[in-house]
Amino acid sequence: MDFVQNLVTTFNFILQGVWVTIGVTLVALSVGLVFGVAMAMARVYGNSFLQAVAAVYSVIVRAVPVVVIIFILFFVIARFVNLSPFWAGSLALGFASGAYQSEIFRGAFQAVPPGQMIAARAIGMSKLQAIQSIILPQAVRLALPAWGNEATLVLKDSTLVFVVGVPEILRRAQQVSARTLEPFMAFSVAMLLYLILTLVTTQVLQWFERRYRLQM
Amino acid sequence: MKKHIVMSMLLIAALLALSACTAVQPAAQQPGAAPAEGSGKLAQIKAAGKIVVGTSADYPPYESIDADGNFVGFDMDLIRAIGERLGVEVEIQDMPFDSLIAALQEGKLDAVIAAMQATAEREEKVDFTIPYRMTKDAFAAAQNSTLVMEKPEDAAGHSIGVQTGTVQERWVQENLVATGLTPADKVFSYERADQAALDVANGRIELLLMDAEPAMELAKQTGLKILLITESTAEGGKSIAIPKGASDLKAELDRIIQEMLEDGTIQRIQEANGLP
Repeated sequence: MDFVQNLVTTFNFILQGVWVTIGVTLVALSVGLVFGVAMAMARVYGNSFLQAVAAVYSVIVRAVPVVVIIFILFFVIARFVNLSPFWAGSLALGFASGAYQSEIFRGAFQAVPPGQMIAARAIGMSKLQAIQSIILPQAVRLALPAWGNEATLVLKDSTLVFVVGVPEILRRAQQVSARTLEPFMAFSVAMLLYLILTLVTTQVLQWFERRYRLQM
Repeated sequence: MKKHIVMSMLLIAALLALSACTAVQPAAQQPGAAPAEGSGKLAQIKAAGKIVVGTSADYPPYESIDADGNFVGFDMDLIRAIGERLGVEVEIQDMPFDSLIAALQEGKLDAVIAAMQATAEREEKVDFTIPYRMTKDAFAAAQNSTLVMEKPEDAAGHSIGVQTGTVQERWVQENLVATGLTPADKVFSYERADQAALDVANGRIELLLMDAEPAMELAKQTGLKILLITESTAEGGKSIAIPKGASDLKAELDRIIQEMLEDGTIQRIQEANGLP
């Protein structure tokens, strides 16, 4: 009975970190989506300056461990703008994810046959109009499977924001195990929660994939 | 592609230059800025009505989190009592021990209370109050260990676990490894002391060196035995870390701590948390 009681207490305690993890992941994914799509557009359709900026962003950010980016954003940049640990961590994670997402969307943009852009321009659409109404709706659908993979990666990378003091699932598990000295139980609960979150995420994204599949 | 590489390099150089400038900034501020503004750290805290204190809540009985999510332990009770005497609210922020000093330097925290000792290296980065508690260290081993220790140097040659970034880790490095008494690959640095304790209990390492009181607590829970309690590996006592140059805050905290040592408040809080 003692075991069950311990398990329930541990579970309830770590559960409070789930909302933090979900919050960090959602913010990071959204920020990354904005960065990713913008940078991919710059990379594929921009002038040579925009192309260079997007390429440099992608190369540098993907070369640096995410935890280092979180540290830099929280401790260097946040000196000028006062960010809470939650926002600093989430934005940093999003900034990092943006680089990976830009590669996903670059591939998707390039997979749309280039003749469509030429045709759109020929009937008098501006470049931006063409991207908005012809390229992007197809590219987003093409990007979905790879994007779903990135979503689960960001979910797991959300453990890193603890270095700036955000009490997400993993840190909660550490706190319990420091108190109860039962790390196996604490980390098993954490594992279970991550598993559930990942499964739900992939299911939702698969539904989107089916719903918005391209009929070419 | 070559252009990208050149631009990447330039960007990194710019970022480094930026961090170099900003790294100098707090140091440059400290001697003149506080008196010049007439509103030092203490005034800022009083104006805000709260003091933001960092800790690493995985170190019972000094600091941990109870089942309801409250910060508990000796340091936590102490800082709340200090906050009361300062007349401000205490906001506690949990962080990994290694992030605490950086967060304090960057102004994310007003103070750090984490059973931390004022070492020379740390004092280059931050200031410390007077110690609120003198410390001893303990060597712990598994229950079935046949080791006998009379002095800290008796640990020579045995595999030993310490917590990363602690004074104990440095003592081991300087007195056992640098002197050739213990091979470097027999020293294991853990992120948390309880992980080291579990490895001692499981027989993966022979010894654990850490603060005496949490060691006794850990020993009780994981079935270790304490081989030696010593003052010679410890340096002074536990202090509250505050930002470099916050002289008004230091003066006020020193005064409160001295007062609490004299009127028995600290003694009472220690006993309430099961500390000798």
